[in-house]
Amino acid sequence: MRRYFQVSTMAMALVGFMLVVLPSIYDSRSFLILMTQIFIFAIFAMSYDILLGFTGIVSFGHAMFFGIGAYSTGVILDRFDHTLPYFFLAILVGSLISTFISFIVGLLTLRLKSHYYAMLTLAFSGLFLVAAEKWRTLTKGNDGFTFRVPDVMIDRTTFYFICLALMLFVYFFLKRITQSPFGKVMLAIRENEQRTESLGFTILHYKVLASILAGVTASLAGSFYVMSLRFVNTSVFSIDTTLDALLMTIIGGVGTLAGPILGAGLIEFAHHWLTELAKEHPIFERWLIFFGILYIVAVMFFPAGIVGTIQKWGRKKQTPSKKQSIEKHKAAG
Amino acid sequence: MDLFINLTINGLATGMLVFLLAAGLTLIFGLMDVLNFAHGGLFAWGAYSGVWVYTMTNSFLIAIAGAIGTGLVLGFITEKIIIQPVYGNHVQQILITLGFMLVLSELLKVVWGPNQISAKTPDYLAGSWEIGNVILIKYRLFIIIVGIIMFLCIQFILKRTKVGLIVRAGVMNKDMVQALGINIKRVFMLVFMVGSAMAALGGVLLAPYSGVIHAEMGMEFAILAFVVVVIGGMGSFPGSLFASVLVGLSGSFMAYYLPDLSLAVNMLLMAVVLIFKPSGLFVVKG
Repeated sequence: MRRYFQVSTMAMALVGFMLVVLPSIYDSRSFLILMTQIFIFAIFAMSYDILLGFTGIVSFGHAMFFGIGAYSTGVILDRFDHTLPYFFLAILVGSLISTFISFIVGLLTLRLKSHYYAMLTLAFSGLFLVAAEKWRTLTKGNDGFTFRVPDVMIDRTTFYFICLALMLFVYFFLKRITQSPFGKVMLAIRENEQRTESLGFTILHYKVLASILAGVTASLAGSFYVMSLRFVNTSVFSIDTTLDALLMTIIGGVGTLAGPILGAGLIEFAHHWLTELAKEHPIFERWLIFFGILYIVAVMFFPAGIVGTIQKWGRKKQTPSKKQSIEKHKAAG
Repeated sequence: MDLFINLTINGLATGMLVFLLAAGLTLIFGLMDVLNFAHGGLFAWGAYSGVWVYTMTNSFLIAIAGAIGTGLVLGFITEKIIIQPVYGNHVQQILITLGFMLVLSELLKVVWGPNQISAKTPDYLAGSWEIGNVILIKYRLFIIIVGIIMFLCIQFILKRTKVGLIVRAGVMNKDMVQALGINIKRVFMLVFMVGSAMAALGGVLLAPYSGVIHAEMGMEFAILAFVVVVIGGMGSFPGSLFASVLVGLSGSFMAYYLPDLSLAVNMLLMAVVLIFKPSGLFVVKG
């Protein structure tokens, strides 16, 4: 276990170092934007994994938290002033609304079976999509609107570093939480709800807390997403946004935090690359088909995702040696 | 009063369309305990293939038959490839059928192009009757009649025939039915195909009703169908009929009196039902 841990830490440190020096080596603007998007979607996917991977809750409305963050940022920066304090205010507002909504929705349905929650979240995010389209005075409808960002974040390289730092912060923060006693209860709920309940834990409280945590993190991702686009429209509320997070999590590895990051990278790169290919051959315009098939195959044959599968190998390798050492110990004793 | 009748008929027609979709979903969930999120995709495929056959042959009856055929074939493929590996695991079912939904709706765009397609009403169903100030649109009445016939057929099959007996017994205890020498797997397959065919039928009937069809309509209506299934109580047939009519009527009355709220009314209905009666209005005994 220790050896495996060291290898993975070293690999992560190496990747981290490369990401830090990357902008000074290759500072193409579109590439920086793509990388920034990956960081932001990694945050979004990690927040989704808190629900799906760590607590075992399937949500179809995760886009609504993403959208809440996106719109509160867009609207506040547009209506008031495009300065840093207002940006922080926007993040706060987004987090508060997300907390409230996830609390209400969670309380209503989390005591029911998983599919009720999935459907109710789907319905709620549909509600938000409709609201965003109809409340034209606030959202300017389907067309959306552009807004100016705080001066600090205008430079793409600076914004790249901000997003990278934020992603690392969210990663370590969520990692800390999943390793805390609270995180262990979440895992226990995922594994066996009845048994956890019989141990004396009130499952509903933990589930609601997990959904609030995921909602607030998703809202943060939404805030930064529109900051990178400097534009917001109703697509942030669409089911596709949720599906993106789902796809990234599943392909990267459910129940790991590095998985969603890797998944976000893969999907965004593939998306970018396939869109480029669409200029060569029209079949690539329907790139979603490939994703859909990939996704079905992943759910069927590769349920642990990339990172999960690697971890499984790591565990398999060290299991026999552990057995041996125990046997040795027994023989000696 | 006339307005009231008009709105009621509109609501009933929408409700019956939703019922056709929700009935398949209820059937599949009730018997097989499978959450099929690809149902909307089958619905959209029914609409597209039906309209395509209609423009080819110019016969609405053949179009309906074509859509049902598409539903049966797609249902067979879906059950075989997508559903069979994930029996008994709800989370995996949700994930995998959602992925399949993605594939289905994108494939639609590959086959028929990304633009919306217009669909016309057959001559003998176009137009309306006027009785006093009440306008009876023929096509809407037609949909209501089809919906009622479908409901009665399913009720009859489920309650009065041997197939229905097997299906209902399968709901209660799969292993027992299997032990009695009935191939429950084949029964499941059949039920799934019938459910898909009903979705496809709903699709082709919707096409002339709304005038145009587009690839995203699968998702829209699937959400509506799921709302209905949740309100009615999962797995209950009378429940889904009642909830469909409720959703249809509240939609049509809200669209007239409170247009801003009309799109949200279904979600609100579902939220209210879930708060006060979490298992839905009609609970299945078993």
